[in-house]
Amino acid sequence: MSAENQLSKIISQLKSSPNLSYSESSALLSQAKLALLKLNALTPATTSDPALLALARDTYEAGALASIRAKNPESFTRYVSQLQPFYELPPNVLPAAGAGGERKKITGLYLLLLLTQGRYAEFHSELESLSARDGGASNEHIESDKYLGYPIRLERWLMEGSYDRVWKAMKKGEVPCEEFGVFSDILTYQIRSEIASSSERAYPSLPLSSTKSLLFLDSEGAVVDFARSRGWTIKDGHIYFPTEADEEGEQGQEASKVVIENTLGYARQLETIV
Amino acid sequence: MPGKTPDKEPVENGGYRGGNDMKDKPKPKSKKNAKEGEDEMTVVVPPSKKQNSAPPPDVEDGDVAMDVDNADDGEAKVDPVVQTLSDVKSNFALLDRAVVLFDARFTLRALRSISSIRKRLTPDILAQAISEAYPASTPSDALPRQFLSALGRPDVQLGRQPGPEMEIDSEPKAGKNGAKKEVKDIIPEIDVFFGILTQVLFHDNKMWQQGLEFSRFLVDRIQSFNRRTLDSLSAKVYFYYSLFAEQLAPLPPSPQSPIVSIRPVLLAALRTAVLRKDVDTQASVIVLLLRNYLLTSHISQADLLVQHSQFPENAANNQVARYLYYLGRTRAIQLRYTEAHEHLTAATRKAPSSACALGFSQTATKLLLVVELLMGDIPDRATFRQPTFEAALHPYFLLVQAVRVGNLEDFETIIAEHVDTFRRDGTYTLILRLRQNVIKTGIRMMSLSYSRISLRDICIRLHLGSEESAEYIVAKAIRDGVIEATLDRERGFMKSKEIGDVYATREPGEAFHDRINACLALHDESVKAMRFPMNQHRLELKSAQEAREREREMAKEIQDGDLDEDDLGGEFEGM
Repeated sequence: MSAENQLSKIISQLKSSPNLSYSESSALLSQAKLALLKLNALTPATTSDPALLALARDTYEAGALASIRAKNPESFTRYVSQLQPFYELPPNVLPAAGAGGERKKITGLYLLLLLTQGRYAEFHSELESLSARDGGASNEHIESDKYLGYPIRLERWLMEGSYDRVWKAMKKGEVPCEEFGVFSDILTYQIRSEIASSSERAYPSLPLSSTKSLLFLDSEGAVVDFARSRGWTIKDGHIYFPTEADEEGEQGQEASKVVIENTLGYARQLETIV
Repeated sequence: MPGKTPDKEPVENGGYRGGNDMKDKPKPKSKKNAKEGEDEMTVVVPPSKKQNSAPPPDVEDGDVAMDVDNADDGEAKVDPVVQTLSDVKSNFALLDRAVVLFDARFTLRALRSISSIRKRLTPDILAQAISEAYPASTPSDALPRQFLSALGRPDVQLGRQPGPEMEIDSEPKAGKNGAKKEVKDIIPEIDVFFGILTQVLFHDNKMWQQGLEFSRFLVDRIQSFNRRTLDSLSAKVYFYYSLFAEQLAPLPPSPQSPIVSIRPVLLAALRTAVLRKDVDTQASVIVLLLRNYLLTSHISQADLLVQHSQFPENAANNQVARYLYYLGRTRAIQLRYTEAHEHLTAATRKAPSSACALGFSQTATKLLLVVELLMGDIPDRATFRQPTFEAALHPYFLLVQAVRVGNLEDFETIIAEHVDTFRRDGTYTLILRLRQNVIKTGIRMMSLSYSRISLRDICIRLHLGSEESAEYIVAKAIRDGVIEATLDRERGFMKSKEIGDVYATREPGEAFHDRINACLALHDESVKAMRFPMNQHRLELKSAQEAREREREMAKEIQDGDLDEDDLGGEFEGM
């Protein structure tokens, strides 16, 4: 019983003070996990006491949020996978915590993490299981959810190419809660390089002044730095992109190699047939 | 074979399935129908006829089949019962031969006959057949008895409604005692065959719970055997096992569904099957597991299963088709469209063309259409014209039209109108991803029609949020190679480049290469698919030896000068 009391104390401590430094919170979390181990509740078993299950879930949720605040994606992913079996439990064993439940927040954060890491396959798998889990008819429901809808919309805009909307969504009060803001740096970097690579192909040249707004940079100085890092040339206040003319000769050679290879392949096959 | 009717009925069913009818049907049926798409597919396997005929019994079940149970007992018994009994028994011979000759084909034939038997099968007939088949005092006497008691359960339960059945229930026992002296070993194949018949019976009468319990027992038993001649039978047993689990209370999408609990059993079966090189069970269990995972949307588990298991190359065609379908589905969700397209094309081609597998073909085709759209291709118009597909594919037809024209507004109204259909087909989330394709097509149409167009107009035509969005979207389309154009930021327009001659590029060559490869692969596969009867080469050897002898004789005769050239030519030709 003492372990259980200790555990709930730690959890309330973690919840009440979200501004703890990562080292402090991780010290608390490892204590909590030790307590869980003593109670034999690290993973759900059919025999576990529901109250214990809820405690374990709260511990992992707190841990996940703490690692997001500390920008530690590995540890966050670990917590999410530990939470997964708890979320799969039937509601009569482990009632979904009503107001205090962090499930949607954590799932939303996880989706966003997958998105920023470019793991689209996993992103969509997760999404699929999400819509199936709630019984199918709730797609609009998921999209309108504060936490879940956010990464879904971002993904759609990123895929379409409406980068300005992504930019707007990351600014101001659009972010559902502070933890989501952690990803905005990564996302900004990501859309900026996306825009840069499309601009290279789409524009013959760009005036410096409007490039600033195009790339969501703060000053022309930043534009110049960015252009250098991508190897663009700047002349008369315009940016010129490197052309890819030099690569064509090689391509031609490669093409003839492919044709030769194919033809040899046919010859070999024909020989086996005839 | 069940004659014409059973073949036709599924077709009708299939036709409805896609249509509006589905929605109106009361629960049990629509459930069945929705499932059927995959189910029938499921059914299609080598003993394929079996499942085909599944729908018809289902439809009749409520009114016809039950009536038969009640009414028949009295008078009509004479003919159908005797007939069915002898049908059931005739399979023993097949199974016996399968064991003696070690040829799975006989087993498959026995399995195929189930489809015709199942319609006439009632609990009492089955009980009678069992009692007649088993002598009471077999050396392995515990096993058949145990088996019968498990089978006895349905009789007791059904017996509560009509009286006569209770008598029949006891009759078998008498019969059993009578047959005592007949000492003959019953091979396990026959045990399992009875097991399958019982499963079929439970299934057709929608007794899911009893079916599951019985299947659990049967699976336990099967696992204690190690006989290669049982392989195709046990594959079937697992199939029904998981079918029962799917039908039970918390239905699949819920994580508490019983299908989750049968996973360990299936995985164990898979391991055993692989170790024993039991191709039939291996193939069908992999397919069942995939289906199982996908039903609860455990995509990553399904993916892991595919990565860590090897689907047997020489599995039955229908299993291959199903496997490809589930694989294609997984890949489509993971955005690996090229692979998905490949697998789904193969699945639709491998699907049996007969009417019985229509549901599978339709489901696979629907998914294939969506994947084609996602890849930026426009599916062939002819697909939608096939009479059996027309009704079912109608929403998809509208969808394709919207995508082809690049009309975002139409696209969204169509989605809204047919949400239910798409959701039921499990294509809804995939279709939502199509939005970007619609936009891309729209941009492409515009770049083809105008040599220069302002971003503002693009924004208005495509109903995009703002000019900035339009600019980013067009830039992205240019980078992705959707259109050949340049943007002018200062003056805010898009200028299309002249379209080059396709025949100057490598594209025709590549297309040609693909086709040649397809032909060569087809040739290889048809060579592999040929069947060479066992020991046939010995005959050839023999005749070759004879020929050599004749040649030697001839040579001798020539030497002796007895033969002139003409004869010789003739002889050689003969050889």
